[in-house]
Amino acid sequence: MQITREEAARIAILAHLRFDEAGLDRMAAEMTGILTYIEQLTTAPAASAAVFAPPSAQPSFREDVPVGGIDRETVAANASGWGEGYFLVPRVLGD
Amino acid sequence: MTDVLDLPWSEGKGQSTGAEYEAACRAVIARRNGEVHAFLHVTEPEAVDAGQETKQEQRLSRMPLGVKDNINVSSLPTTCGSRILGDFVAPRDATAIARVRAAGATILGKTNLDEFAMGSSTEHSAFGPTRNPWDLSRVPGGSSGGSAAAVAARMVPAALGSETGGSVRQPAAFCGVFGLKPTYGRISRRGLVAFASGLDQIGIISKTVRETAELLSVIAGRDPLDSTSSDREVEDYGSGTDAGIRRMRFGVVREAVENLDGEVLANFEQALTVLRDGGASVETVSIPSIPYSIAIYYVVANAEASANLARFDGIRYGKRSAASTIEEVYFSSRGEGFGEEVKRRIMLGTFALSSGYYDAYYSRAQEVRERLRADFDLAFQRFDLLLTPTTPEPAFAIGAKLADPLSMYLNDIFTAPANLVGIPAIAIPSGFSRDGLPLSLQMMGRHFDERSLFRAGAFFEGETGYWKRAPEFRNGSS
Repeated sequence: MQITREEAARIAILAHLRFDEAGLDRMAAEMTGILTYIEQLTTAPAASAAVFAPPSAQPSFREDVPVGGIDRETVAANASGWGEGYFLVPRVLGD
Repeated sequence: MTDVLDLPWSEGKGQSTGAEYEAACRAVIARRNGEVHAFLHVTEPEAVDAGQETKQEQRLSRMPLGVKDNINVSSLPTTCGSRILGDFVAPRDATAIARVRAAGATILGKTNLDEFAMGSSTEHSAFGPTRNPWDLSRVPGGSSGGSAAAVAARMVPAALGSETGGSVRQPAAFCGVFGLKPTYGRISRRGLVAFASGLDQIGIISKTVRETAELLSVIAGRDPLDSTSSDREVEDYGSGTDAGIRRMRFGVVREAVENLDGEVLANFEQALTVLRDGGASVETVSIPSIPYSIAIYYVVANAEASANLARFDGIRYGKRSAASTIEEVYFSSRGEGFGEEVKRRIMLGTFALSSGYYDAYYSRAQEVRERLRADFDLAFQRFDLLLTPTTPEPAFAIGAKLADPLSMYLNDIFTAPANLVGIPAIAIPSGFSRDGLPLSLQMMGRHFDERSLFRAGAFFEGETGYWKRAPEFRNGSS
């Protein structure tokens, strides 16, 4: 699978990642190498598996009762932008 | 006189008070961490009142523990070895941490790792690599390299790590210590920062089976806050480990050893002789799909990682880059906060899940994974445990594989299958190379059959005694 610079740039936008020009070329080359290795799966023996789930882990649900959350001060301490009880972000509406 | 830190914890603590044992550990950390860089953060000693030493012993009374820095310990940093979480402080304990604390253990600090547990050498930590105590010019393995190096260097008798494709067993092998990857669902993942949720499991690194069994008995079990944790009964994993291996049936995975040569193969064959001499049967078994494990792994794990790491966007916690628009916050924070390996895996995972490629990559990988599981199920109809070397080579030099990601990935060729099928596995010291580097035997068991692993592991370590050797800190100050 050949990943072009343009394809790598398209994936980077989907992934919310930014690369400089040299970084994009390097990423395209490395992805090409790894995906070429992965292509062996096309000829591998397989079994049908719509969704794989380890047999050890059949999800089960807890009682539907409230459990304690994290208090607001603790949340604020880890926030990059915080004011008056809210996360602060750049303006999204009303430029 | 034997150093208490060279003994299994249960014996060493009998020759000293808890305070003395902990002080001995802290002294080694103070002396060695500068060159090994196993710990990213070391806690301050807690004040202990005089009467506390004489209180009734708890199961893990004052057992000093290292904790991989992707597992939350309340009020301590959880960096995941990443700049994007450089200032993050955990708001509460992971369930596994709450359980070891309740059993009396003492957390000595947070250990280094490849960024977000993505790597096999601990070179991908944003805070610098950890070095292998057996040879400081070599890697300790990864991603739980800090935990493995800390145990090997006698800084702690045991440490918690995490596994997604071998991140406990491979560093345990490189550092000459014991490593356990439990059955998927055996230990709660709550408070373990997610990499690939369908593969991730907290694991245990220690010197011997006994310490690991003690820890697993404490931290295993259902957690209502992790829906993938199993409600299966927690056994006393320390009992029955002295039963020997007579009549146990071991299967040697043909595809894992047919291309081996040199001292790894010779060491593996010596290990088989030890098992045969113990009265077990050892035969070859084929698992035809095992050579595809790395290809499966790097599709499935990266796909899950690309989704899990989407949460690191600079908004609610973690690094936020200065930006004038919300899109710029996302792109700049992630671009500056993540390292190259994490970006590479997010890119690969995003590609595998993207429109037009999902069926060819992700669905196909799951289909081959299902075949792998069927192959293992078939093998376990004939055998109690399956055997391979833990790694295809001993610890490699720092920097040797950084330029070739695929070469680094292939170091997990023997360990990734257990994660893909959700079974438990151990890495146990099996000797040393001509260069004095640790070699390791891997045993894999049926789902939830950790006891058979401990039974066989205890026999093997009792017969061989490799766990008793401590590193001499070559290529560094003494």
